[in-house]
Amino acid sequence: MSWKNFVLRLGVLGVLFVSTGSCSIPGQLHTEEETVTRVSMIVKMDHGDYWNTVKMGAEVAAKEYNVKLDFLAPKNENDYKGQIALMEQATLQGTDAIILSASDYMALAQVTDQASYHGIPVLSMDAEVASTKVKTYVGANNYEAGQKAAERLVELTGTEGQIGIVNFVKGARNADQREEGFTDYIARFPGLKIVDTLYCGSDEELANILTRTMLAEYPEIKGIVALNAEASIGVGKAIDYLHKGGKVKLITFDNPPEMLEKLQKGTVQAMVVQNPYSNGYLAVASAVQLAEGGSIPERFDTGTKLIDLDNMLWPDNQKLLFPFVK
Amino acid sequence: MRFWRVLFQPFSRFHYKKIQVIITLSFMLVTIITVLLVSIMLYNRFSKSSEENTVLNIGQIIDQVNSNLEFYVLGMKDIFQVVEESVGNAPLISGEQLRSQLGTILKTRQDLVSIALFTKDGQLVWNTPNEQMRPNSRLTRQGWFEAAQEHPGLLQFSAPHIQNVFKSPYRWVVSMSKEITYTDGGAKKKGILDVDINFRTIDELSKRVSLGKKGYVYIIDGVGNMVYHPQQQLIYAGLKYENLEPVLNYQYGNYTDDSTGEERIITIKTVQPTGWKVVGVTYADEIMTTKKDLNTFMIGFLLIMLSIVLIVSVLVSYRIAKPLRTLERSVKKVEKGDFGAIIDVSGAYEVEQLSKRFNLMIRRIRELMDQIILEQEAKRKSELEVLQAQINPHFLYNTLNSVTRMAEMGRKEEVVTTITSLSRFFRISLSKGSNIIPVQDELEHIRNYLIIQKIRFKNKFQYAIEAQDEALSCMTLKLILQPLVENAIHHGIEMMVDEGFIGIYAWIEEESLFIRVTDNGIGMSEDVLRGILSGKSRQDSGSGVGVRNVHERISLYYGKPYGLTFESELEEGTSVTVKLPVVPASAESDHGGSA
Repeated sequence: MSWKNFVLRLGVLGVLFVSTGSCSIPGQLHTEEETVTRVSMIVKMDHGDYWNTVKMGAEVAAKEYNVKLDFLAPKNENDYKGQIALMEQATLQGTDAIILSASDYMALAQVTDQASYHGIPVLSMDAEVASTKVKTYVGANNYEAGQKAAERLVELTGTEGQIGIVNFVKGARNADQREEGFTDYIARFPGLKIVDTLYCGSDEELANILTRTMLAEYPEIKGIVALNAEASIGVGKAIDYLHKGGKVKLITFDNPPEMLEKLQKGTVQAMVVQNPYSNGYLAVASAVQLAEGGSIPERFDTGTKLIDLDNMLWPDNQKLLFPFVK
Repeated sequence: MRFWRVLFQPFSRFHYKKIQVIITLSFMLVTIITVLLVSIMLYNRFSKSSEENTVLNIGQIIDQVNSNLEFYVLGMKDIFQVVEESVGNAPLISGEQLRSQLGTILKTRQDLVSIALFTKDGQLVWNTPNEQMRPNSRLTRQGWFEAAQEHPGLLQFSAPHIQNVFKSPYRWVVSMSKEITYTDGGAKKKGILDVDINFRTIDELSKRVSLGKKGYVYIIDGVGNMVYHPQQQLIYAGLKYENLEPVLNYQYGNYTDDSTGEERIITIKTVQPTGWKVVGVTYADEIMTTKKDLNTFMIGFLLIMLSIVLIVSVLVSYRIAKPLRTLERSVKKVEKGDFGAIIDVSGAYEVEQLSKRFNLMIRRIRELMDQIILEQEAKRKSELEVLQAQINPHFLYNTLNSVTRMAEMGRKEEVVTTITSLSRFFRISLSKGSNIIPVQDELEHIRNYLIIQKIRFKNKFQYAIEAQDEALSCMTLKLILQPLVENAIHHGIEMMVDEGFIGIYAWIEEESLFIRVTDNGIGMSEDVLRGILSGKSRQDSGSGVGVRNVHERISLYYGKPYGLTFESELEEGTSVTVKLPVVPASAESDHGGSA
């Protein structure tokens, strides 16, 4: 082969060599701009302190793990159709992971399977969904939370008497589990009787009216448990309206500020508080791990706390109860 | 495939002593060492200064936060002092004047939430804005209240907490509290003065600070309570951990902490009036970004340099080694006997010269070889002729013919002489196969020849043979004179009318042996002379050994300067001189054998 030919070939090879080298170098130079993970978080409702706290936690994790977070929710907690639409939209647009807090245990199952079929891992947060494709659950152990509430209520009412339950949405996994935990615990005491179980559909006013009706129907009721924030507010209003504060023991769920006022006032004896901030944070952190192909535990129990007058001002509880500095 | 073969050709038959390999490897080695040294030096220099700069920057940011906070807190402290003075000087503690005065103060600063005075057992004396107290606030057990009681006369700053005393919305506040003395209904009383500041300003001030991408600032109070932390909830939930122990030991300064598994640089400043500590957390891997960038740059640089050097050195070494290899191949060809190979190697000057010299050498060798071939051929031919001359059948036939005739005529004497001469002639002709004989023998040989010829030609000529004594003992090729004499007889004497004369002389002159054959015959024309010398004109009746043969034999045997010279003039005669080296009889053996 001729000299010139050789030079030409060597030149080509050199260019290849250098260019492959330099291709890999910019990649290394920009390691700080790691690939952004896209995570869609679909929750039950686009307002309320609870969901805002979830969002706050999720945003902290998003910053930490370089995530582009899409926070999506229908206007209303009952609107599982809206959630289905959001799930479909997220699946269609493509994202690295979906975090779902299902309004309905069964109704969301199909879209969850669909997303999973498209290779998008789905995590459930706060409330589970009836799909085996879900990679993990991040949230409180709702059954245990129900039992916790029951335990405190029994302490307050004694082991004899009538008890009422105000639940929110029949069919929502967390609602069902809380109720189940609660009734299972109460069932240990034959003297205690659950006289009524109401579903307010996360509507404060409906809860208020239904509670008044229940109390009118069963005036002997010694204790009521309200299984989510809206139910709690409604029940609290009803008890205050009937001036039965303290007489009817009330255990509530979640921590809207008005309920804390009622705790100080004595209408509410204790509240079961979840950790929405941790839920949001852990859900996003886990989603990142999943999207990167890592494996994560099947469940993250972020725990619940029983807050009463004695411990409400503990510094860590203050931050839990009042996540926002206003 | 060919492509790769070209590049890796130098290494295909890898031999570490190949020029190409040596050059390539040494180039690479030198480059690697140089680049590495430079890289390491630059790396150390840059990374050190960038690290120092970063630490300095963080320190400045924290200082800024700290001074902002201090400024803010001092402002609040001033307000508290004004409030305290107003309260202390007020003659009537629940009077309208004091209330409006404090109301004005409250309005000047938006982040003042409330001002309140409590008795030492927690009863509200008054408050601004005028709001009802919540039940079950347990204020006497709250930090700010207890601290004020514990440290009478000293202003206390509380950690941020939820204001749950009054029926205003729950708010995060920092309480400034102090035990003061006030006048109520003429009596001096002790109470706790509490000014609540909205925590939002501090929160936002701290939230805005970012140290790198992941770094942050947090604030703790003197005993380790969280004042502000961007991930406070995660810490309370146990998902994150902040190692506070060393922080509490520092007033200011920085250290490296790896209790969370990641290396982090912690910078601490203390806000003087409150005892709070502003703590900056920077992730070491972010500081080291420049270091990492540098690293990758260096690696890239090294790779590029190496590939360039690899290419250049392969090229250069190829350029140097290729002509050498071509040269080697050509030499190998020559070694195998192909002298036709012409090396046309271009390249470095030295190599070009080498190939030129080599070409010259090859040409010379080729010439010499051709010459040797020619000489060998000539030698063989002349030897064959000499062999023939030794037998010389023509001459024998003629002579015997004459002898027969003489015998018939009864010339007994002449017959005897002729036969005797003939026998001597042949004895010397053969001379035991030796090629070199003494001049004496050669002269004896020619004498016998002349005797026979004289009888044959019926005394048509006379002859004389004279030689120096020194010449007689020299050695000469045999049978060199006979053709000359034969030539003299044929071309000179035979055609003559008069009696001819042939003279043969041998002498030594100027280190050479000369033998001359002269005749006084008709001489030779130029044509004839040329014919004799070219060997074409050869009489069939002759001895068979031409004059030319004589000349060739002499010059082949003794070298170019030796041979025959002719002098001839028409009608005057011809003289042929044989020039030979002086070879004494004893030295003869040195020359022997080759013929």
